[in-house]
Amino acid sequence: MKLRSVSYLSKEGVKNLWANRLMTVASVGVLMACMVLIGLAVLISMNVNKAVGNLEQQNVIMAYFNDKNSVLYGDASEEFNSSQDASSTTSSSADSTDTTISEDDYLIHNEEEALALCDKLSKIDNVLSVEYVPSEEGLESIKEGLLEGKEEYFEFLDKDHGNPLSDAAKITLKDMSKFKETLQAIKDTEGVDSVQSQSDLADKINALKDGIGIAGVWIIAILLIISLVIVSNTIRVTMYSRKLEISIMKAVGATNSFIRLPFVIEGVTIGIISAATSTAILYFCYRVAMEAIGDALGIINIIAFKEVALLIVGIFLAIGVLSGIVGSVIMISKYLKKEGSEFTAI
Amino acid sequence: MNATTKPIIEFRGVSKTYKTGTHALKDVNIRINPGEFVFVVGASGAGKSTFMKLIVREEKANTGSLIVNGFDLMKIRNRSIPHLRRTMGIVFQDFRLIPTMSVFENVAFAMHVIGADRRKIRKDVSAVLSMVGLGNKARSMPNQLSGGEQQRVGLARALVNKPSLIIADEPTGNVDPNLSYDIVAKLTEINKQGTTVLMVTHDHNLVRDFQHRVIMLEEGRIVADNAAGGGNI
Repeated sequence: MKLRSVSYLSKEGVKNLWANRLMTVASVGVLMACMVLIGLAVLISMNVNKAVGNLEQQNVIMAYFNDKNSVLYGDASEEFNSSQDASSTTSSSADSTDTTISEDDYLIHNEEEALALCDKLSKIDNVLSVEYVPSEEGLESIKEGLLEGKEEYFEFLDKDHGNPLSDAAKITLKDMSKFKETLQAIKDTEGVDSVQSQSDLADKINALKDGIGIAGVWIIAILLIISLVIVSNTIRVTMYSRKLEISIMKAVGATNSFIRLPFVIEGVTIGIISAATSTAILYFCYRVAMEAIGDALGIINIIAFKEVALLIVGIFLAIGVLSGIVGSVIMISKYLKKEGSEFTAI
Repeated sequence: MNATTKPIIEFRGVSKTYKTGTHALKDVNIRINPGEFVFVVGASGAGKSTFMKLIVREEKANTGSLIVNGFDLMKIRNRSIPHLRRTMGIVFQDFRLIPTMSVFENVAFAMHVIGADRRKIRKDVSAVLSMVGLGNKARSMPNQLSGGEQQRVGLARALVNKPSLIIADEPTGNVDPNLSYDIVAKLTEINKQGTTVLMVTHDHNLVRDFQHRVIMLEEGRIVADNAAGGGNI
């Protein structure tokens, strides 16, 4: 097709939009509603994913090392959760057994070995970060956190027992869906005595992520189909309203692609107008929603629109242009195959 | 015109039966040479429309051989059909003018379709409008014209790409009888300049008054083929 024909047909396509302006406005309106909903689905799913990501990072695995304390007190977490009676018994045994434990009974003897173990742990697949927590620091954080305001009840720990906690590593994971495998790999690492984790939370996070993913894909797929149907319908209506023109085009020797082009341009223009207005609407809706949610829940960690603006514009343009092209090509081809092949009697 | 002249339209043993079982044309044999003016007459249902539809390749014959303007219509590919149609100009009974376009734009439309440049469009459309006597109505809208004038716009559109063949499907059907003569006179004038004209009509007065070749169809068969001035039908 010659360039001047393309330019003529492009003008015709845009002119037709104005000539059928009621239909154009209706199509842009419905397509815009679909795009805004798709945009909201994308933004909600991105925000939830981010929130889940934060949760994931908070869902740490504590790996306690096989050091002197672990031999003395057994599983640190179990020991710590047990009753005070148990602690007093352990205390006496600690004093008595301290001398009976040789360096060969445990694997981590000093900070250097502990750091080497941390390094080893950080190399396990799916491990995001490993933070070395010496036993003193572990005890301090328990005192500061869990036992805040009740320090006097636990003074016996320092006085009578010293620090019962082992050195540990605070481990975060990259992907919670591989939680079980990674946990096992950590447990199996030489020098790790025991691990403490919240596998329930990991399962819930994984289920939530999967659910959001599936719901998002369905919502977007359904809305995409609706968009396609809307554009196709507009093109079909304008096509039937221009039966006369099409019959003349055929009679004077227009090729099918010549007949098709103004309709494609019409469809694509509707798509682009819808994409532009949807971006603006989504921007204002999102800003209002962000302020409201931020005020109500004090969440400040919502993704800013400008961070995703390009992605959103890209998605909208892709939907608009693709539904414009596919919708009009399907419709006009169908028409030209049936009614459009007859032009002497319309 | 002698028998060795390459015909512009040639039907050889052409038959057309629709899916509904209607036998529209039966074993039609006809030869139309370049420069001829031919009236096609017949009662309703005689096969006139099918005859025209086969020539413009809106329908395909079931059997026989059909050549139009050098195109073998039994073998033509779909993508070549527009090129076949560019060799002919079609005039419709109902004018087929686009109501939202001016007279000039309606005629120019046929040139845009073949990708003509703007300067040529301006020049040729003006020339053809003057030729049909509508040089001063270029800016008028179709609804501001009489039936006869509207048909002349249709004629201008058919002529603007300088086709070698004009197919006129009852062009006087929606025009006052006195204006019908003008239309056929115009077609005769165009024919005299070398364009072949094939005109379907019901109007026996026109056929009688303009002495051209007449093909008569009846129940899908050619029952008469009188050379120009060869007597009444």
